[in-house]
Amino acid sequence: MQVSKIGIPRTLAYFIYFPLWKTFFEELGHEVVLSAATSKAILDRGVKEAVNDACIPIKLYHGHAAALAGKADYIFCPRLVSVRSHGDFGTETFCPKFLGLPDMLRLAMDDLPEIIDVRVDLKKGKDELWQVFLEIGSKLGNSGEEIKRAFTKAKKVQREYQRLLYQEKLPPEALELIEQKIPVPKKDKSGGSYDLQVAVVGYPYVLYDAYINAGLLAILEKEKVKVYTQDMISDREMNRQAKTLPKSMFWYFSNRAVYGALHFMQRPEIEGVIHLTAFACGPDSMVDRLLEIESRRRGNRPYLSIAVDEHTGEAGVRTRLEAFVDMLRYRRNRK
Amino acid sequence: MKISFPHMGYSYIALKWLVNHLGHECIVPPEPSKKTLDLGVRYSPEFACIPFKILTGTYLEVAEKGAEIILTSGGMGPCRAGYYWVMHQYLLDEIGKKVKVIAFEPPLCNLRDFWQKLHRLRVSGGLSVKAFIQVLKITWEKIKAIDDIEMKSYHIRPYEEKRGETTRALWKALEFVDEANREDEVDEARQEGLNVLQGVRRDESRDPLKMGIIGEIYVVLEPSANHYLQIMLGEMGVYSDRSIYLSSYTRKNTIVNLEGDIFQVARPYLNEAPIGGHGVNSIGETILYARHGFDGVVQLAPFACIPEIVAKSIIPAVSRDFDIPVLTLFIDEQTGKAGVQTRLEAFVDLMEKRRELKRQRERWAI
Amino acid sequence: MKKAYLGVDVGSVSTNLVVIDENKQVVAAEYLRTSGQPIATVQKGLYSIGQEVATHFEIAGVGTTGSARYLSSIIIGADIVKNEITAHAIAASSMVGEVNTIIEIGGQDSKIIILRDGVVTDFAMNTVCAAGTGSFLDQQASRLSIPIEDFGNLALKAKNPVRIAGRCAVFAESDMIHKQQLGYNNEDIIAGLCEALVRNYMNNVGKGKEILAPVLFQGGVAANQGLVEAFNKYLEIEVIVPPWYDVMGAIGAALLARRAVEKKKKSSFKGFNIQEINFKTRSFECQGCSNACEVVQFFENDDLIARWGDRCGKWELQAV
Repeated sequence: MQVSKIGIPRTLAYFIYFPLWKTFFEELGHEVVLSAATSKAILDRGVKEAVNDACIPIKLYHGHAAALAGKADYIFCPRLVSVRSHGDFGTETFCPKFLGLPDMLRLAMDDLPEIIDVRVDLKKGKDELWQVFLEIGSKLGNSGEEIKRAFTKAKKVQREYQRLLYQEKLPPEALELIEQKIPVPKKDKSGGSYDLQVAVVGYPYVLYDAYINAGLLAILEKEKVKVYTQDMISDREMNRQAKTLPKSMFWYFSNRAVYGALHFMQRPEIEGVIHLTAFACGPDSMVDRLLEIESRRRGNRPYLSIAVDEHTGEAGVRTRLEAFVDMLRYRRNRK
Repeated sequence: MKISFPHMGYSYIALKWLVNHLGHECIVPPEPSKKTLDLGVRYSPEFACIPFKILTGTYLEVAEKGAEIILTSGGMGPCRAGYYWVMHQYLLDEIGKKVKVIAFEPPLCNLRDFWQKLHRLRVSGGLSVKAFIQVLKITWEKIKAIDDIEMKSYHIRPYEEKRGETTRALWKALEFVDEANREDEVDEARQEGLNVLQGVRRDESRDPLKMGIIGEIYVVLEPSANHYLQIMLGEMGVYSDRSIYLSSYTRKNTIVNLEGDIFQVARPYLNEAPIGGHGVNSIGETILYARHGFDGVVQLAPFACIPEIVAKSIIPAVSRDFDIPVLTLFIDEQTGKAGVQTRLEAFVDLMEKRRELKRQRERWAI
Repeated sequence: MKKAYLGVDVGSVSTNLVVIDENKQVVAAEYLRTSGQPIATVQKGLYSIGQEVATHFEIAGVGTTGSARYLSSIIIGADIVKNEITAHAIAASSMVGEVNTIIEIGGQDSKIIILRDGVVTDFAMNTVCAAGTGSFLDQQASRLSIPIEDFGNLALKAKNPVRIAGRCAVFAESDMIHKQQLGYNNEDIIAGLCEALVRNYMNNVGKGKEILAPVLFQGGVAANQGLVEAFNKYLEIEVIVPPWYDVMGAIGAALLARRAVEKKKKSSFKGFNIQEINFKTRSFECQGCSNACEVVQFFENDDLIARWGDRCGKWELQAV
């Protein structure tokens, strides 16, 4: 077997599945090369390469992929079709742009390393995930035995990561803890030094990418706000929320944002809900209006929508957040 | 009950007949106008696509006219359109309109729900099962007749001697279908209509350019949404063939249905299907039009339409490999007729020059 | 008298008139602001260009282009009406025969035209927003209180162009103000704006196009040396600004007119002195069917000379 360098763009599903991918590749004896955190240069490159009408996350992905050119033997860009059977017809998928992403990438840039675009469609059954990893491992020249072992280990690390998220760690911090192989701490009961609890929902690749959202989570932390996101909620609770809607949406990440928001709306200690949306995101045009209406219907919970795009300035985000937080504190004091 | 539905091309003629003969009162949706769009833009999310906004406007207009129920289609995704009815219900409720949106989800997904909704329509109108089936059948025949007539008009118009004659013949022909009440009458109306179109005075010496129209279903099917693009083309002397008709999937006689699986055709370029809406179709259809000797293709899509953006990013490669020019027109509420016309005229000039050169080369080759 | 051809380009921002002689040389050119009054502007422009050329030349053919091409063709009596993309391509290839790329930036729209062997093979126009058009710079110029004419020279003096982010004018403006507040000088900011416009143009209109030299840069804003520099830098190709860069559409229309009258023999030109004529439009709603089309009637003094807006052709005037 030849040792390969696997390039992983630090965006999109990275924030959710990176421990799984990384462990798998490394256990197989390959090297993982991660693109740098989003920067002006990466964004500019993405804007330049991607089709003009695409949304920011797709442009970002192009930028991250371009940054891996010359540094890796492969770019790992799985074609994310579905990860579960969900929705009114069991047909939940990722956004159409994700479905076409590997093809878009190939046609946009000539100088990219070979793309590993294994199709991930898990709605068919439990065995599918194994098939996906078997395909990747075989492509890289590993034996069935090695792949099996790496897959088992990878799933274990991913479960640990998941547990950290359920313990209300935010993905950037959880990724660091996993990286340092610190044993998973028991649930932190100290409470911290916050005096306000707010939920922030949105796509992981917008929510946890500090560049593209102009440091939103850090600003909230500085404001002494405890932040909850949809990724801290169990699947079972998500499914319970799904039943309260006339119909589920079709897109995995959108559904998670919606169910997460609906869940937080019924927790009295969470005083406001923020929806972080990506400029020109098709599904978000629906998500945002739905959440706005539901937040009014479900207990008139204060709701703020912030859209980010390629020229979001920190000043703009800070102003909106500070005003929202001030309003929440004022409301509470008046009660 | 007072029932309405979205305006989509000339299908309202068949749907009006359907609602009336189910024993309900039909509120015919007006052709989308500037006012419709203004209303739609005002109440829709900013980044919703233009079909959503036009439908919002239409629903508010029919609600104003007293509609109590709006019949529409659902969908299983991943195109946004399948979620429209839910959002429209939310919006109508918020505005305070007492209208119920009933969506027919694809019967393959949920047959029971589909039959239940039909059953309720039948019972509330007081029809026997037999009569009900007959009404559905005639409606379907009408839709097919309307499509046949419309299709023919696009093939005739580039030859018309006097501007407007085809359009007038089209209206006359549609009137025949409108007035038909029995199956044999619909068939007769269809034949008569086609004859009227055939009777338009034509200059057969012309050699029109052939253009394929592809893209997202609503902006392709609703002429008012695309600034009457196909009529504009016809009056510029261009023969246009479009990939989608409501009766499409039962057809065997259109370019797009000639070659079986469109997804298979697109596969070398997009290794995934479906991706929602007509995204994959747009890629495959460009290939088919090229293979059938068309001079060019226009891709019509709402601004920010997700599946068509994927298609657009891939079409340049198809266009290069198959040597067929493609013009993409993204439409939103700011799109003006003048802009569409300028681009089309320039595109027609481009196609003309290409055809000239191609023929020259062919002559030399001989 | 020698024969000459008149080309008229009526756009939303400017109205250009050009007269060329048999050797395709420009003998007169007029550049006016349309100011929302295309009819009056055309009348005025026609009169003043007539003053210049009427004694030496006889107009043998007229072509119109631009967004008001149909209206102006009726007023003037044009022999050919052509869209501005084709007109620009014709003009450019008559000046630089082997031109492969045309960058055209106007006030409210911008286009790229790709030619190979003198034939247009691809083109694109800006989509919904004003990113990558002249109005982007106009707005920033007024914000900075610097006349747009001075932009080019100031930009050339820049040492370190500032990076101005922003696709649309609104976002660019807020970023520009931010940069001012950080203390950057005007030269660097202006050069930054020029680079931002080029970037927006390339990302919006030029995306995915194969840009080969020679590249012609035309349209009103091509006067701006700062922009020329910014294009040179971005494309790594020296762009060519043709001598009549700001009236290329009109030149194209004149060239097309020259070709059109070869077939047609006699021009329909109504003459230069139409400024006394009272052109007016009146519209009515046709009651012929439920479509209720708004039919526009166009009068020359009291004579009805054109009608449009009806879908069915019922109100079409018979060609005279």
